[in-house]
Amino acid sequence: MIESNAVSSPAGAPAVEVRGLSHAFDAPGGGLAVLSAVDLAIAPGEFVSLVGPSGCGKTTLLRAVAGLLAPSTGGVEVLGGTPRQAQRAHAYGLVAQDPGLLPWRSVHDNVRLGLELTGRQADVPALLGRVGLGGFERYRPGELSGGMRQRAALARALVHGPRLLLMDEPFGALDELSREAMRVELLRLWEAERITVLFVTHAVREAVLLSDRVVVMSPRPGRIVADIPVPLARPRSEASEDTPEFLALVARVRASLHAAHGSARAASTPGDAL
Amino acid sequence: MVVVPPLVVAVVLLAAWEAWVRLREVRAYILPPPSAVFEALRDDPTRYLEALGETLVSAVGGLVVASVIAFALAVVMAHSRVLERALYPPALLVKVTPIVAVYPLLLIWFGFGVWPRIAVAALITFFPMLVNAVVGLRAIDPRALDVMRVLDASRAQIFWRLRLPSSLPYVFAALRISVPLSLIGAVVAEFLSGSAGMGQLILQANGAFDTPTLFGAIFVLAAAGIGVTALVSYVESRVLDWHAASTAG
Ligand SMILES: Nc1ncnc2c1ncn2[C@@H]1O[C@H](COP(=O)(O)OP(=O)(O)O)[C@@H](O)[C@H]1O
Ligand SMILES: [Mg+2]
Repeated sequence: MIESNAVSSPAGAPAVEVRGLSHAFDAPGGGLAVLSAVDLAIAPGEFVSLVGPSGCGKTTLLRAVAGLLAPSTGGVEVLGGTPRQAQRAHAYGLVAQDPGLLPWRSVHDNVRLGLELTGRQADVPALLGRVGLGGFERYRPGELSGGMRQRAALARALVHGPRLLLMDEPFGALDELSREAMRVELLRLWEAERITVLFVTHAVREAVLLSDRVVVMSPRPGRIVADIPVPLARPRSEASEDTPEFLALVARVRASLHAAHGSARAASTPGDAL
Repeated sequence: MVVVPPLVVAVVLLAAWEAWVRLREVRAYILPPPSAVFEALRDDPTRYLEALGETLVSAVGGLVVASVIAFALAVVMAHSRVLERALYPPALLVKVTPIVAVYPLLLIWFGFGVWPRIAVAALITFFPMLVNAVVGLRAIDPRALDVMRVLDASRAQIFWRLRLPSSLPYVFAALRISVPLSLIGAVVAEFLSGSAGMGQLILQANGAFDTPTLFGAIFVLAAAGIGVTALVSYVESRVLDWHAASTAG
């Protein structure tokens, strides 16, 4: 087994660098502060999970990294440029909880979308085979299960050979069984490709199993409260979940989450605020 | 077969009508029996078919003109809230203005041929087409839009690959509303001009107290309305075969 430390140590500039990022949404009666002074660096080839309670700003942070949202303050640098430049370089792959497939297109043609938009070439049927959708090329999204749709969304995100994969609770809407299967498959895919991944989840075990690092966020307005390296050997599998190291890491992430939650609650209690 | 129950109802209604007229000896110019209506239709079918042809040219012509203009305008409005706000009031004006009041103007502008009638059918169908197209062009899946934006898709790519297909269910819904409206518009224009189509046929039959022919014309119009609507539904089921599957799930 190979230690993962070599992968997480940055070889040059980070793939993603978030500096002092804060964001507030316009809301009735003043702005809604969602992110507060977030700093985050992800090395090339690193798999980083972002965990935090729901509503803490994970999606907002991911969208800022994707260049889909301009943060109120602070900056995002992706592959040494702006997110907009990374978009133009077709550097991103995006998978969200809702797959957002085009219902009028077959699985094959949905995956081909990335090639149509970027003008690149790829073997779509082979990719579909790799994500476990071999033989389903001609099916429409409406004819697939949730897990299969998510596989198609993953294939679409990978088809143009992105350097950075952004995943926002990609397995959040799946039943536990498909979720476990998808986890293992993502692990296998990533361990073969080693592209940079920013993975949002609120499932702690999932985060630890998949990641080189787990970044823990506080409740809204989201801040980064812990950055926990995961030095588990790769390749990993479901069996990794039974090791004492794994369980200790899960406990550590949970503890950070609860500490952040507790202090946020205390801070919002009027008596304690004084 | 889905057509059997409505057919049974139609036959029963016609039989009841026939029986009532005969038993009560209702005079034919007030209410002819269905048998007399079918006789009138059988005696001179070309008269109805020619009139129907003229009416359909006005109705379908108006619908096509309205659809093209409405969709082009909807594309502009769907891309810009400012233009949407600017263009909505005049569009609404077209909807609320009684067409009968505008008809003399249409005659001045378009002459006495088929064009003023096409204009009436277009004016009456324009608004539902426009509103549905704008809503449809905006009804895009935000996740799919994110995926395209992240890949630096151009506005044109987003339009052809996402907006246009997303709008089609709305456009077809609008068409199903607009088909009968376009027939109404065409017949109203024919009443007003008294010069062509089913509207003229009805006026003539009315003037001659030829109520069977009047009913014949109404039957033919109803059948045409059903036929064109069925045609739209058929095309819709072929073009939008993905839609039923994606909304059922
Ligand atoms: N476009 C928006 N406008 C206003 N408020 C928003 C918008 N998007 C998200 N929010 C709010 O910002 C907060 C954080 O949202 P989000 O980033 O989606 O959280 P998470 O992904 O961690 O669950 C939530 O309270 C949400 O309601
Ligand atoms: Mg979210």
